[in-house]
Amino acid sequence: MYRNETAKMEEIVNETISVEEIKKFERAYNSELARGKVNSRTQFEYAWCLVRSPYTNDIKKGTVLMEQLLQGGNPQIQRDCLFYLGVGHFRLKDYTKALQFVKGLLQIEPNNHQAKELEVVIKKKMNKDGLVGMAVIGGAAVVIGGLVAAGMAISKGK
Amino acid sequence: MTSGPYNYSYIFKYIIIGDMGVGKSCLLHQFTEKKFMADCPHTIGVEFGTRIIEVSGQKIKLQIWDTAGQERFRAVTRSYYRGAAGALMVYDITRRSTYNHLSSWLTDARNLTNPNTVIFLIGNKSDLEAQRDVTYEEAKQFAEENGLLFLEASAKTGEHVEEAFLDTARKIYQNILDGSLDLNAAETGVQHKPSAPDSNQANLEPGGGKDSCSC
Repeated sequence: MYRNETAKMEEIVNETISVEEIKKFERAYNSELARGKVNSRTQFEYAWCLVRSPYTNDIKKGTVLMEQLLQGGNPQIQRDCLFYLGVGHFRLKDYTKALQFVKGLLQIEPNNHQAKELEVVIKKKMNKDGLVGMAVIGGAAVVIGGLVAAGMAISKGK
Repeated sequence: MTSGPYNYSYIFKYIIIGDMGVGKSCLLHQFTEKKFMADCPHTIGVEFGTRIIEVSGQKIKLQIWDTAGQERFRAVTRSYYRGAAGALMVYDITRRSTYNHLSSWLTDARNLTNPNTVIFLIGNKSDLEAQRDVTYEEAKQFAEENGLLFLEASAKTGEHVEEAFLDTARKIYQNILDGSLDLNAAETGVQHKPSAPDSNQANLEPGGGKDSCSC
């Protein structure tokens, strides 16, 4: 059962999207950007495509756009962003950061099974790479401060 | 336990679509884990599940993409429709609005899949008879008019859940046998695995290691 759960989430984090598909959402985003105001939904759609791109630079851009939405988007989109920031940073092999975003989501929704499964997948990868200790000591404090703030903002918005 | 490179001879891709809160993820969970997931939060993006079933003596692996029903995910989840061999379209028999939206889901399913994609209509929450808002007959007629397979099911009790997933696979397999689904065509949602489970298959497939788990 445990193995099956991680296999399912591994499929989600490793799944990629075609470049044409990304371009479609990029056009919508860019046209709103040119008009001076980007709708948070358009930004989320584009960012969600980017974090599933086969290219590292796209994934990075996707995480930047998602982080912007964490600051200003509505609570529902913020929750989605926490999850996909976990996925994005996992794909960028920044497991420490990935874990922090997933923990941020679990703070708001402690029983969210997608978040729990993603957490297991990230920890499994860290164990394999011997990174667990580093995660505890390393940059945790920096990001967690911001996340608690985001979590509180989301709880208030409910 | 799984030992050979493939213990199935086909892969069918499914998608599950429909309004939010109709129980798509719960149907998937009931089918793959044989358990009811109470208090399930709204799906973020997509979920994925697999199960190996048997149809006419053939082992088939179902790869199921369960899409979030909330409107903000709709534009992006359309990319999952491509190359689906089966589409389970779900409404909630206790909420008429979820039934009224079926034509819009069906339009997406028809436009974004291929003509051979088997579409199965599921009226979920059949255990909540007292709160029924859509009659069986009405939905049955809608299904017939649109050439859909149809059952009412309950992710909670498990009633008809197996049937919906398995009947879809039977129909797809039948399409393969009668030649209406061409295995060589693009985006059919069906992959044929050449190494049959009954053949002597020890280490024949170079890619086999990928499927076996190293954990």
